[in-house]
Amino acid sequence: MRTKNVVHLVLILGLLSVLNLTYAQDTPEVSEEGKEVYEESCAHCHGIEGRGDGSAAENLLPRPRDFTRGLYKIRSTESGQLPTDQDLFDIITIGMPGSSMPGWETSLSANDRWEVVAYIKTFYDGFKESETPPRQISLEGKIPYSEDSVEIGKVLYTQFACFECHGNLGRGDGTSAPTLQDEWGFKSWPANLTQSWNYRGGNGIDDIYKRFIGGIAGSAMPMFEDPAFGLTIEQSKRYNELDSKVEMTESEEEEYNQLDEKMGNAYEILDLMADGDATEEQKQIYDTAMKAFNVKSWHLANYVKSLSPEKQPEPAIGKNVLRSQYTINELPEIADAAWETLESSYFPLVGQIIVEPRQFNPTIDSVNVKSFYNDTEVVFLFTWDDRTHNTEVEEDEDTGTTFEDAIAIQFPVKVPKGPTAEKPYFLWGGRKAVYLWQWKASDADKVTELTAKGINNAEAQEVQGDIQAKSEYTDGQYKLWVKRALKTDDKKDLQLESGVFVPIAFSAWDGANGDVDTKRVISSWYSFVLEPVPSSRRFIYPPLVALLSFGLLVGLRQFVRQRNT
Amino acid sequence: MKTKMLTCLILLFAFGFGLFVFADSHEKEEEMNKLVFPKAYKSTTVKDGGKISGVVKFEGEVPEKKKLEITKDPKVCGVTDKFDESLVVGDGMALKNTIVYLMDISQGKDFDKDAKVEIDQKDCRFDPHVQIIPVGTVLTMLNNDKATHNVHIFGTKKNNTEINIQQTKNRKKMRLTRFKSKNAEGPVEVKCDIHGWMKAWVAYVPHPYFAVTNEKGEFTLEDVPAGTYKLGYWHEACGTNNKEPVTVTVTAGGEVKQDFTLKLKK
Amino acid sequence: MKRVSLFTICFVIFIISWVFLEFVMGGVISKPIPSSVISMYMALILIAILVHVSVEDTRFREFLRPIHETLVDENRHVRRIVLAVLIPLLMLGYTYSNLAQKANPPGDPRDAHPSPPLELTYKDEVIGSMQTVENPHRHYEKDDPEKFKSHVENGRRVYYQNCFYCHGDHLDGQGHFADALNPLPANFQDPGIIPNFQESFFFWRISKGGPGLPASGTPWNSAMPIWEDHLTKEEIWDVILFLSDYTGYPYRTFGEGH
Repeated sequence: MRTKNVVHLVLILGLLSVLNLTYAQDTPEVSEEGKEVYEESCAHCHGIEGRGDGSAAENLLPRPRDFTRGLYKIRSTESGQLPTDQDLFDIITIGMPGSSMPGWETSLSANDRWEVVAYIKTFYDGFKESETPPRQISLEGKIPYSEDSVEIGKVLYTQFACFECHGNLGRGDGTSAPTLQDEWGFKSWPANLTQSWNYRGGNGIDDIYKRFIGGIAGSAMPMFEDPAFGLTIEQSKRYNELDSKVEMTESEEEEYNQLDEKMGNAYEILDLMADGDATEEQKQIYDTAMKAFNVKSWHLANYVKSLSPEKQPEPAIGKNVLRSQYTINELPEIADAAWETLESSYFPLVGQIIVEPRQFNPTIDSVNVKSFYNDTEVVFLFTWDDRTHNTEVEEDEDTGTTFEDAIAIQFPVKVPKGPTAEKPYFLWGGRKAVYLWQWKASDADKVTELTAKGINNAEAQEVQGDIQAKSEYTDGQYKLWVKRALKTDDKKDLQLESGVFVPIAFSAWDGANGDVDTKRVISSWYSFVLEPVPSSRRFIYPPLVALLSFGLLVGLRQFVRQRNT
Repeated sequence: MKTKMLTCLILLFAFGFGLFVFADSHEKEEEMNKLVFPKAYKSTTVKDGGKISGVVKFEGEVPEKKKLEITKDPKVCGVTDKFDESLVVGDGMALKNTIVYLMDISQGKDFDKDAKVEIDQKDCRFDPHVQIIPVGTVLTMLNNDKATHNVHIFGTKKNNTEINIQQTKNRKKMRLTRFKSKNAEGPVEVKCDIHGWMKAWVAYVPHPYFAVTNEKGEFTLEDVPAGTYKLGYWHEACGTNNKEPVTVTVTAGGEVKQDFTLKLKK
Repeated sequence: MKRVSLFTICFVIFIISWVFLEFVMGGVISKPIPSSVISMYMALILIAILVHVSVEDTRFREFLRPIHETLVDENRHVRRIVLAVLIPLLMLGYTYSNLAQKANPPGDPRDAHPSPPLELTYKDEVIGSMQTVENPHRHYEKDDPEKFKSHVENGRRVYYQNCFYCHGDHLDGQGHFADALNPLPANFQDPGIIPNFQESFFFWRISKGGPGLPASGTPWNSAMPIWEDHLTKEEIWDVILFLSDYTGYPYRTFGEGH
């Protein structure tokens, strides 16, 4: 009886330990911890099951990654390959600038981040199934950054057809930009290459290089192949030169045909290589062509790098405050060179998410401002990037709503005296009214004066003052030039005075992004000042003070000496 | 301890099963818009095969032909007018671009080795709009435009055979060698992001009994070994008959007529 | 060895105090101190030094001796000339830089923790006294942990659907919309925020938003929406639970001192 019990016990224990073992094997401990971290920190966007459908996902663009598809945008691996663990770890650590994915370096330990990497990989079977590690993009043959390289890259930018989406100057305003979608059918905008702080995968030259060798999976960004495969940089430049000619001479035609044939051969070899049918000789041609392609890609990466400042500019507060510069001359026109002499002040803008309908996915990220004034007038130059030029008012057939690009510059009606004095509510006023200049793309050379007491409570002033306006749209950028007298007779207008800090704020609309009415981008209150003319006192007082202090010293000595005697 | 453990296990199994069922229902919805393939297919020589033919017609109000807005490269793309091809209805309500196929054939003829598997990009339009690709065969993309295109083929959810590759105007012919699909799947969408209106469909198929209807809505499946088969269809805008396939019986050397009338997907 | 004069000692103390305030206090230890505050402290230190040296006649004389000597002694000739040139030059430079300096924009003095109203309301409905109202879902923490968890989860949902744009994924006030806002969104990871306020205070700040602040809190600058327009009472209480649950900081409870 006893022995039977013991045997039972042993059997049960044995069974339990086996069960335990299999359990441990199926879900390794790493993932259990990773699951915990994932559900605490990631699931609200990426979903409990990794489908990218967390409770916050709906209002985000780009949408949170759906891990069940194994599609990863930012990889160090070739097109069609899965990312490496390090790639996933880096994304979690650094985040994806310009999207709602933050970096987790400060809030998750390195160990936790690795656990999460292990856990999110369980959502896609492809990670388990793949026997060989993903092929990584080789960074061999990197060409160091130089002005010359940038020049070459600039030509290649056109040859590689980057401008189709990213625009001539890289502002993401290419003619294909308005129709791009991501894999899930959501609107997707090509990167504005002049804002490197928003590059999702980082703005290092290596990062940029990896993006066009590997493509950005799930987006419209294709994997690039050499558009002039088999040709050197010089040859491809020549080929494109000849290609764009309306008429070629006989010798030119011959040259063109030769290059064309060379290219055709190389492309055929490319296909043969993939089939594994290439001869040794063909392999050599292929190797040379691939090298040339890599060289071209590095030049291109250097060019893209040159398009943007390294860092996001500092916002216009504190010492960076917008200062309108005095001039005794005529105020400059929109295209005058005088503007180049001023540093611009940077005002970041964000989606308006206070009043419905709200804008959770803004496309305009900032406005840059410069200003001059003279004894009677002030002039501003507002510059902002917008990938699309929506002048013709587009109507929503169902609601009759119209969409167009616009901007509004907001001031208080009266400048509050002293820093603690009440300002109007920053979002188009409230109890206290604001004074606005509103510009719309459909009426490009006009600014309307508005008075507003709330975001839904704005009216055009009955008496429109004499405000001059001009605007331009080129290569994804708006320029708006506005000139007004410092003083007006209208009590509803802001009156300007040199040396006084005036609150200023902005609203902007991108018609292509569905911006209309309260759906827009906004800033909070900033300030600007008509910088006082440096007074001539600065040449008179200091010498006086110096003389006086010298006199005091002499006097003191005399006094002491007298007392001594 | 024992009971706790067992309860845990049972709960775990129940949870897992629940997940499985849930995931399955998700996939089922997608499967409804896909083709149905036999589990295995063996190619043999077919002697005295039968023929299945018919006409696919559309029923319902034909929406007005939607002219596509050419937002780009008007000199190249704007030469001819282009229309939305998701529903092309010809004379007598004939429905073009419908795939008609045998769902459950397990052996039959081999693929026609000479058939061209290519899509032309001409006047910024994919031609044909629906292309059948034998599994493992290379799709060739032609570019007859003086414009740069990108060939963007979407993977199905289960199998990410994603292709997104640029084809500049210099590259007249591009064989997508590296991307030949090993598995039967589809149809999946083909897109050119540069010219957002350009759309087509490709299906990777394991056997040759697939046909795409022409302007007259006609299709023919030839050399079908005698037997009874499920006949299916797929259309971009009208969906599939996966739930209720039509059964046809082919006799040796005989001809079966089977017409279809399709309505818009709900 | 020559004894160091009292004047030199005082001078050195003065300079050390300045270096301490400007660079050590206002750099190493905490944020830079405004120049006006520094001048105030320096004036106090100067007065203290003068008081100290002038308490005794002999000490005062000892203090003045080097000044005296520099002014009149024959053998201090060189030092005198150097000072007679240097002091006026310094004054010249100082006045010029002061006059040529660009005016800085006025600061925005703002009471970051303004006093709440006496009554806590949701829309027009009175909930109770600000001092005594408790989170109606708080008691589940002890009574029904499962239910408590579901409320926290609901709070998490509310947070990530509405708040994280500005207050951030990590609740650190660094959401992707934060950089254009002034004042910056509250940082709940700051140990000075959650433990210093009752849950009712948070309910007030969330439900009434920026416009609900008293004038001292510059309601016109704050981008905090009036959440009672978008969220239910329950959702607000739940998100309050979530903030504390996520950060691990408990709220101040009624009756507990600061």
